[in-house]
Amino acid sequence: MADHPHDPQLLKGVLSLLLLALLAQRESYGYEIVRRLHATGLDGVLEGTVYPALSRLEREGCLTTRLVASTSGPARKYYRPTAAGYAALAAGTDSWMTLAEIVNSELSQPIPDEPSKGA
Amino acid sequence: MANTLTWIDRLRIERVVWTLDQRLYDIPHGARIAHRREVRQNLLSAAQEVGTTAALRNIGSTAQLAAAYLAAEFGDRPRHSWTAAGLWAATSMLVVTAVLADAAKGFATGISAANPHTTGTYHWGGLSLLQGGVTVKALGGHTTVSGGGLSVAGWALWIVIAVIVGRLWRAPGTWRRRAQPIAAR
Repeated sequence: MADHPHDPQLLKGVLSLLLLALLAQRESYGYEIVRRLHATGLDGVLEGTVYPALSRLEREGCLTTRLVASTSGPARKYYRPTAAGYAALAAGTDSWMTLAEIVNSELSQPIPDEPSKGA
Repeated sequence: MANTLTWIDRLRIERVVWTLDQRLYDIPHGARIAHRREVRQNLLSAAQEVGTTAALRNIGSTAQLAAAYLAAEFGDRPRHSWTAAGLWAATSMLVVTAVLADAAKGFATGISAANPHTTGTYHWGGLSLLQGGVTVKALGGHTTVSGGGLSVAGWALWIVIAVIVGRLWRAPGTWRRRAQPIAAR
């Protein structure tokens, strides 16, 4: 378990981007993606959040799927990004980096005990 | 180490899968079946790894999961519900049919009660607005009822309320958005 729980609202905004990034590294089926997210430290992400997000990305044409037979049950649905998915990942990464740079810059400023009064 | 699933574990998973399925009836048939299969497969994988109780807990409530799947399919805008419209249509029709049948039967019973040996044909206009005319043919006290079904105005009212309950005016917009490429939305 992570020492600091992650804000679900912050995660919600970047979940699609994370999913695209993970799937660009290696195609996976739903539960495997959840495990991979947990392995990155995002162990608060619920399966019930990830599966609909995958469905949305597939619906938006960012992911494509294929069924792979499994020895332990029904066939597994593997996801991987499409060309549109890679484009969305590149655009989303740029956008995130820019935002993170601005936010980090502001948050790294020393905070005085009392806010100074405006002019 | 993989857990071996008992038939009780599988039944618990099936219960969640089918509860979710019931909440996804507004999604097109093929997509609904695909979601059902995928959730089942993922739950089986999770249950083998962390146990059925933990797997079911981690997937969260089926209501929230269904809402997320519906939002993924139709977008976050308010949308229509064929399920709500269908539920209204079926339930209200059962109730209205029972009421209309009772009203027609009541008319016939009244005729018999007034004159147990009557012979003749009696007509009643039915419940105002809702019911068509009721005709009772009596022969020596034995009555036969005909008519008394839902009137044209009653059918129109039933359809209008079904449209309102299901917010069906939103359906064309939802279909258009589904047909559009995402970038054009």
